[in-house]
Amino acid sequence: MAILHITEGQFDLDLNLMKKALFSFDSTDTYQVIFRDFRLPRLFMGIIAGSGLAISGLLMQTLFNNPLAGPYILGINSGASLFAAFSIMTGVSFFTSQFGTIASSLLGAFIFGIIILSFSLFVRSRISLLLIGVMLGSFSGALITVIQSMSNAFQLKKFTIWTMGSLQQVSFSDFPMIILFYFIALFLLVFTIKPLNTLVIGEEAAGLLGIPVKLVRIILIFITAILTGLITAYCGPIAFVGLAVPNLVKLLFKTQNHSTLILGSFVFGILFMLFSDWLVQFLWSEIHLPLNAITSLIGAPFVILLILRKLA
Amino acid sequence: MIQLQNIDIGFHEKLFEIENLSLEKGSVYVLIGANGKGKTTLLKTLIGEVKPLKGDVIINKKRLKEMSRLDKSKYLSFVGSKQQDVDFLKVNEYVSLGRVPYTNLLGSKTLNDTEKVKVALDTLGITHLQDKFTNELSDGEKQLAAIAKAIAQETDIIILDEPTAFLDYANRVLVLNLLKEIAVSLNKVVLFSSHDIDTVLEQEVKLLIIDKANKKLKSFIPNLLSKEDVIRMAF
Repeated sequence: MAILHITEGQFDLDLNLMKKALFSFDSTDTYQVIFRDFRLPRLFMGIIAGSGLAISGLLMQTLFNNPLAGPYILGINSGASLFAAFSIMTGVSFFTSQFGTIASSLLGAFIFGIIILSFSLFVRSRISLLLIGVMLGSFSGALITVIQSMSNAFQLKKFTIWTMGSLQQVSFSDFPMIILFYFIALFLLVFTIKPLNTLVIGEEAAGLLGIPVKLVRIILIFITAILTGLITAYCGPIAFVGLAVPNLVKLLFKTQNHSTLILGSFVFGILFMLFSDWLVQFLWSEIHLPLNAITSLIGAPFVILLILRKLA
Repeated sequence: MIQLQNIDIGFHEKLFEIENLSLEKGSVYVLIGANGKGKTTLLKTLIGEVKPLKGDVIINKKRLKEMSRLDKSKYLSFVGSKQQDVDFLKVNEYVSLGRVPYTNLLGSKTLNDTEKVKVALDTLGITHLQDKFTNELSDGEKQLAAIAKAIAQETDIIILDEPTAFLDYANRVLVLNLLKEIAVSLNKVVLFSSHDIDTVLEQEVKLLIIDKANKKLKSFIPNLLSKEDVIRMAF
């Protein structure tokens, strides 16, 4: 899938050239530059976004004991969207660099992550926490609408395009930071497997088995905040991957063992994301489809199918 | 095993008091009381989820409130009256959760853990169900699986909230007999609440009755009270 993904695009690049670009880079060769500056970051971002969103979705589904929860359920993405809207449409950019939007949405995700984490410190029931997340989302949605109503056509278009999602916003130089946070999240994930396996029978029951439920809740939210914050900032709010993939993995593997589920979400999240993005590029010459349209076009029918299956 | 002395049980307001009661290994205790008179609150007090209004629960000479979560999970196991439905959770995996207090940070099971799960399944006679999903089980089988999880947890005390509430007559008797056998052969304190006075009085169990007249918990040896006595005192 990765090879399929990286070879698709407006220019045909062959594997030989890719090898050259990696090991004996020649900056005067346009094709090599395209590969290094566009194709490769796009592939990396696809891998990180696909796996990160799918895993975050799984964590939230288990934490809230609800198959319809997803990575955005806590409203962290709305923090990113709100600040992106601020930066694009008010002109009061928090950062004046050319990466203003990304930096602002990172800040937004960070602030909302802190808000939801501090709520999780003293809110007792997880349903309340869920509601607070949803409320945060509605609140920032409303604020975004207010900002939109005061913006001009150009700014509106720029923001709309940001919300459509794209793997191409990231540049090579951002990768050290992204990869660092990504691996911090993956590292923490190792210690959540046992608590997650226990949480499936309920928070109270898990507590009586010696699981420090509140600490686990905070770690799970922390991981989700890092992953979704990072991914939303760089790619926009990519829909459905985090909701659909963990459910698909559960149906495929028929287990509640989270080492299997996390691994499955990791692999299938990447496959789903790269396939969607490959479709975007494959159809590029015919029709300009945003990534979010593709993921939702595939994801939405799947979720409906899933609900029907549950009801049946 | 459990010492309860001069304790007020309640949540915000006092429901009843316990003057002096000790629960010993090898016995089954059945808690009887009218709705809203504090049965569930007592169970929650015993597992440390609710604090007594006055006094301390002493387990094995240690104060319950000073025990860590992990410590508690090695002394006490709890079985609710209805188990949460979970997709794709095999009976075997479910019972294995009883080993959670003993496994390492990554949750890896040792041979010993696997053996303990096997024995627990065998004790409850549900080895043949181990590869089934828990949500495919009948209510009776679910209850047996939950008790097997408590056995795998290897605690000296097992507390159950109305374990027979959703079962038919045959399963009620089966569960009660198993609980008695577990208390005696594995030398544990088994305490559960029940409204099922008829079935309970057929068994040789100690009764703990919340006396509605003077709001005290009273303890009785087996075969002492008739059904009428129990009803008069509790309801």
